[in-house]
Amino acid sequence: MSRQIDTLIKMVNQIADNAPRQETPEATAEAVAGHLRKFWAKPMKVQVKAYLEAGGDGLNEVAVEAVRRL
Amino acid sequence: MLHIYDPNTATDRDLGTPPPAVSAGTVSLSIDGKPVQVPEGTSVLRAASLAGIQIPKLCASDNLEAFGSCRLCAVEIEGRRGLPASCTTPVAEGMSVNTQTDRVARLRRNVMELYISDHPLDCLTCSANGDCELQDMAGAVGLREVRYGYEGENHLDAEKDTSNPYFTFDPSKCIVCSRCVRACEEVQGTFALTIDGRGFESTVSAGQDEDFMDSECVSCGACVQACPTATLMENTVIEQGQPEHSVVTTCAYCGVGCSFKAEMKGNELVRMVPFKDGHANHGHSCVKGRFAFGYATHPDRLTAPMIRDHIDEPWREVSWDEALAFAADRIKTIQAKYGRDSVGGITSSRCTNEEAYLVQKLVRTAFGNNNTDTCARVCHSPTGYGLKQTLGESAGTQTFDSVMKSDVIVVIGANPTDAHPVFASQMRQRLRQGAKLIVADPRQIDLMTTPHGGEAIHLPLKPGTNVALINALAHVVVSEGLEDRLFIAQRCDSKEYAAWNTFIKEERNSPEATESITGVPAASVREAARLYATAGNGAIYYGLGVTEHSQGSTMVMGIANLALATGNIGREGVGVNPLRGQNNVQGSCDMGSFPHELPGYQHVSQEAPRKAFEAAWGVTIDSEPGLRIPNMFDAAIDGSFKGLYVQGEDIAQSDPNTQHVERALGSLECLIVQDLFLNETAKFAHVLLPGSSFLEKDGTFTNAERRINRVRKVMPALAGKEDWEITQDLANALGYDMHYEHPEQIMAEIASLTPSFKGVTYQKLDELGSIQWPCNDEHPNGTPIMHEEDFPIGKGRFVVTDYVPTTERANRKFPLLLTTGRILSQYNVGAQTRRTKNQTWHDQDIIELHPHDAEERGINEGDWVGLTSRAGDTVLQAKISTRMQPGVVYTTFHHPVSGANVITTDNSDWATNCPEYKVTAVQCEKVAQPSAWQERHRAQHKKQWGLLKPTEESAS
Ligand code: SF4
Ligand code: SF4
Ligand code: SF4
Ligand code: FES
Repeated sequence: MSRQIDTLIKMVNQIADNAPRQETPEATAEAVAGHLRKFWAKPMKVQVKAYLEAGGDGLNEVAVEAVRRL
Repeated sequence: MLHIYDPNTATDRDLGTPPPAVSAGTVSLSIDGKPVQVPEGTSVLRAASLAGIQIPKLCASDNLEAFGSCRLCAVEIEGRRGLPASCTTPVAEGMSVNTQTDRVARLRRNVMELYISDHPLDCLTCSANGDCELQDMAGAVGLREVRYGYEGENHLDAEKDTSNPYFTFDPSKCIVCSRCVRACEEVQGTFALTIDGRGFESTVSAGQDEDFMDSECVSCGACVQACPTATLMENTVIEQGQPEHSVVTTCAYCGVGCSFKAEMKGNELVRMVPFKDGHANHGHSCVKGRFAFGYATHPDRLTAPMIRDHIDEPWREVSWDEALAFAADRIKTIQAKYGRDSVGGITSSRCTNEEAYLVQKLVRTAFGNNNTDTCARVCHSPTGYGLKQTLGESAGTQTFDSVMKSDVIVVIGANPTDAHPVFASQMRQRLRQGAKLIVADPRQIDLMTTPHGGEAIHLPLKPGTNVALINALAHVVVSEGLEDRLFIAQRCDSKEYAAWNTFIKEERNSPEATESITGVPAASVREAARLYATAGNGAIYYGLGVTEHSQGSTMVMGIANLALATGNIGREGVGVNPLRGQNNVQGSCDMGSFPHELPGYQHVSQEAPRKAFEAAWGVTIDSEPGLRIPNMFDAAIDGSFKGLYVQGEDIAQSDPNTQHVERALGSLECLIVQDLFLNETAKFAHVLLPGSSFLEKDGTFTNAERRINRVRKVMPALAGKEDWEITQDLANALGYDMHYEHPEQIMAEIASLTPSFKGVTYQKLDELGSIQWPCNDEHPNGTPIMHEEDFPIGKGRFVVTDYVPTTERANRKFPLLLTTGRILSQYNVGAQTRRTKNQTWHDQDIIELHPHDAEERGINEGDWVGLTSRAGDTVLQAKISTRMQPGVVYTTFHHPVSGANVITTDNSDWATNCPEYKVTAVQCEKVAQPSAWQERHRAQHKKQWGLLKPTEESAS
C-alpha cells in the first residue's frame, strides 16, 4: 500500500469526524462528500474510491458513506 | 502608463496639532485678517496652518498632543492679555489672531537665542543639515545674533548613545522639546523614554541609566522621526547624507501593509520613512519596515540565473534565455512522460497581486492543470474556508481604524505587538482610552501589559482546545440570554440558528464542563463572555494560534458564530478580523492561488466564471480542483508528481515535518525556484531564477483589511527582471503567449475577470491612495466595513462546531506540548531579517520552558535542550519563563538551523490541510551537542553554498 493512500484515509476520516454535524448521519455524509467534491483533486478522489471498492479497511462509517456518494 | 505620484501632498504637511477628536460644529475666526473656518476644538496653530499661514513651532507636531513648552508659536489675540502659545489655544468664535507682530517676533527671537546658545554650531557638518527644524526656525524668526554667548554652561560634550544598530542619540543637540518622549508614548505606546531632571539639567533618557538597546525600546523609529533636530538620527543618513527624492510604496513584511516613503539618493535607498497619509499606518512603523531593508542589497542576493542537471552538481551560471529554455524543456518532458497533472506551481504571499495572479495563470494555461497553491495554505487557509462558510466572504470584516470604536477587544491566538506591531500600537491607543481586553492564548502576550491600559482578562487555554473554549463562550452568551435577538432574526438563517442554539446550550459546552479540557477557570470564561456580549462594540482579532490547528477551520466558524450571536458584525468597532502574517497573504488568496478557486474565490466548478476565464485566456480549464501543497508532496513521494515551480517561498523551511518535505523535494525531476536568496528549498532545485525585491518592482499588495496598496519601483531589478517578467518569460518559453508591458495591464485583466476587483485601476489607486475591496459599481471607492446591510450569501450562517480533540496528544513519552510563534525583530523564515542588523535582537531561536518543567528536568537558563517529537528531534537553548502554563513549551522558527519544523508533525486542519503548527507533543532533556538533523543540515548547507560559490567566482 502506498503512503499516499494512508494519508488519504487519514484525511477523509478526519473530515468525517470534523465536518459540521447535520441533522441526520446521511446529511452529514452528504456534506462530507460535498467537501471532497469541492476541495479534492480528481486523482485523490479516484484513489480513495478505488480503495473503498477494494474493501475500504480503516475508513470510518461516515467516511465510507461519503466516499460511496462520490 | 507612467503615473507620477507626488508624496508631498497636502496631507503630508505637518499641521502642528492633531485634529480635534470629536467636533460639534464649525468656528469662524480671523487670522492675520484672513477669515478662517475650522472645526470646533482646533488649535489656533492648526487653523493657521490650514489657512496657509505658518506659525513657527518646535515642540508641536500634528501626530502628538500639543505640549506648549517651547513658546515659539506665540501669537497675539485681540482682547487677550499676554502672548498665548497657539498650539495649546483652541479657536473661539469671532477670535482675531495676529501671528506677526513686533512683540511676538521679539519673543520668538529670544526663545531661539536661548536654544542656540546651548546648541553646537556645526550645521555644515551636521547629519540633519537641510532637514532640521531648529535651523528652519532660526531662519524663520530671523535670528541674527546670540547675545547669551556660548561660554556659559552647556551640554555640548554629552556622550553619544550608539547602542541601537539603526539610529544614534546625540544628546548635545537635544533641545528637550520632548517630542520623542511623546511619540514613544502616544504613537508607539511603549513608554521607553523620559525627561530626567528639571530645568537646565533636564535630558532625554531611555529608562534608568540604560542605553537604548537595553531599555524597553522596540526600535520602531517614532522618536527618530519626531525629533526636530539631529539628536535622534538614522545611521544611514549619518553615513550616506540627506536623500534627494522619495517615492511612496508599501512595506513588504507583514499583513499590516504600512505605507512608506522610500527616500533615495539616485538608485540608493537612504531611509524608509512611514508615510503620514498611509491609510493602514497613519505615519507609524515598526523596526522591520522602518529599518530592516538592508537585505535588498545584501551580497547573498542571487544575481544571475543558474541551472544544473542534478542537485549534487555545482550550479552553472547561464543567460536568462538558456535558463528558461532549460526549465521549459524539463517541464514539457515530464508532462509528456508522466501526464499533464504531474507538475504544479506555488505562488508567493510576498510577491505582488499581479505576480501571484500570473503564476496561477501560468499553471492553469501553460501547465494546463489546477495544481496551484500558495504559502497561505500553511497559515490562513482556514480563515478563507471558515469565513466563507459563515459570512460569505473569505476576508476580515473591518478596517484597522475600526478598533478606535471598540469597547472590548478580544485577541485569540495572536501576538500583535510582535507580529503586527503598528496595528498593536493602535490597539494600545484604544486600550489607553479605556477599551477592555480579553486575551485567549496559552501564553501571556505583551499587549496585556499595555502601560496605562486597564486590566486584561487572560484565558490561558491548553494548546489544541480552542474550539472547546469558543463553544463555552458562546454557551454563556446563549444560556444567559445575552444574544442579540434582533440581529439574529433580521440577519441570520433561522433554521441554522435554531440547530446551533440547541447544540450550544448542551451542558457539555458549558464553561464548567470544558474547564477540564481547556484548563481555563469557568469563572473567567463567564466573565469574558459577559463582557464581550454586553460592553457595546466587541471586536475579535485572531491569528495563527486559531488557524494552525487540526480544527482551525472549525475555530474560525466558532468565532463567526460568536460574533453573529452577539450582533458584532456590520458596523464600526466590531467584526471578525484575521491578522494576516505575510504582507500579501490576503492578496495571494484573492488572486486565485488555491487549486479549487479562480481569482476572486470563484470555484473552478462554477460554469460562468470558468467560461469567462477560458474565453480570456484561450484555454480549457479543468473543472476539478488540483493538488494542494501537502498533496503535491505526497504525490511526489509516490512518484506521480515530478515538476514544481516555486515563486518566492521557502517551503523546505516553512512547511511542517521537514524530513518529509525534503524527501518530497528530493524526488522531483525539475524544481524551479525563483527567489532572492539560496534558500532551503533552492538547495533541492535544478533551476534558480533570481527574483526582485519589493523595491525593484511595480505592483500592489493587499493587507489584512483588504486594502490594496501600491508598490512602486524605486531602483532597477538587480538581476534584470521583475518577478512578473520572469513568470511571463517562462510562460512564453512553455509556448503560452503572455505580453504584458507593465503590471498595470495585469491589474486591468484581474479587474475584468474578478467581480470584487471590478473598479480597481492604478489610476484610482493613485487618486485615492488605497482601495479596500470589494470595489465595484455599488462601492466604487471600495468597502471599509463589510456586511453592513447583508451578507454575500444573503443570511449569516451558524455552523455547529463540535470540539474534536487533535490526535496529537501529550503522553508519557512526549509529556509536553510545544507551540510556536514569532518575535518582533525577525520575520517568518527570516530570509530577509536574518540578513539585516535585526540579528542584534534575535540571533537564534530559543525554547521557553516553565520553571516547573525546567526544574523537573534539571534544565537551567542557557542550557542546550534536546527537543524530541514523533516526527524528529532538534536542539535549542533554554529560556526559563512563566509566560506559559506548566506543560507548555514555546519556540520561534526564524532560523533554519533550529529545525523547529523538524519537530512539527504532518497533522493538519481537517478542511484545508493547514498544518497543525501550534500543537506538537514533545519531550525535553538537557543535552551536550546538536541533533543529528542539525549536523546534517549544517553539512548540507555548506555543500550547497559550495556548489553556488565556484560559479560566482568564475563569473567575476
Ligand atoms: S524607537 Fe520607538 S520604542 Fe524606541 S524609544 Fe523611540 S519611539 Fe520609543
Ligand atoms: S531628542 Fe529630539 S525630540 Fe527628543 S527632546 Fe531632544 S530634540 Fe526633542
Ligand atoms: S507593521 Fe508590518 S507592514 Fe508595518 S512596518 Fe512593520 S512589518 Fe512593515
Ligand atoms: S510649538 Fe507651541 S509651544 Fe512649542
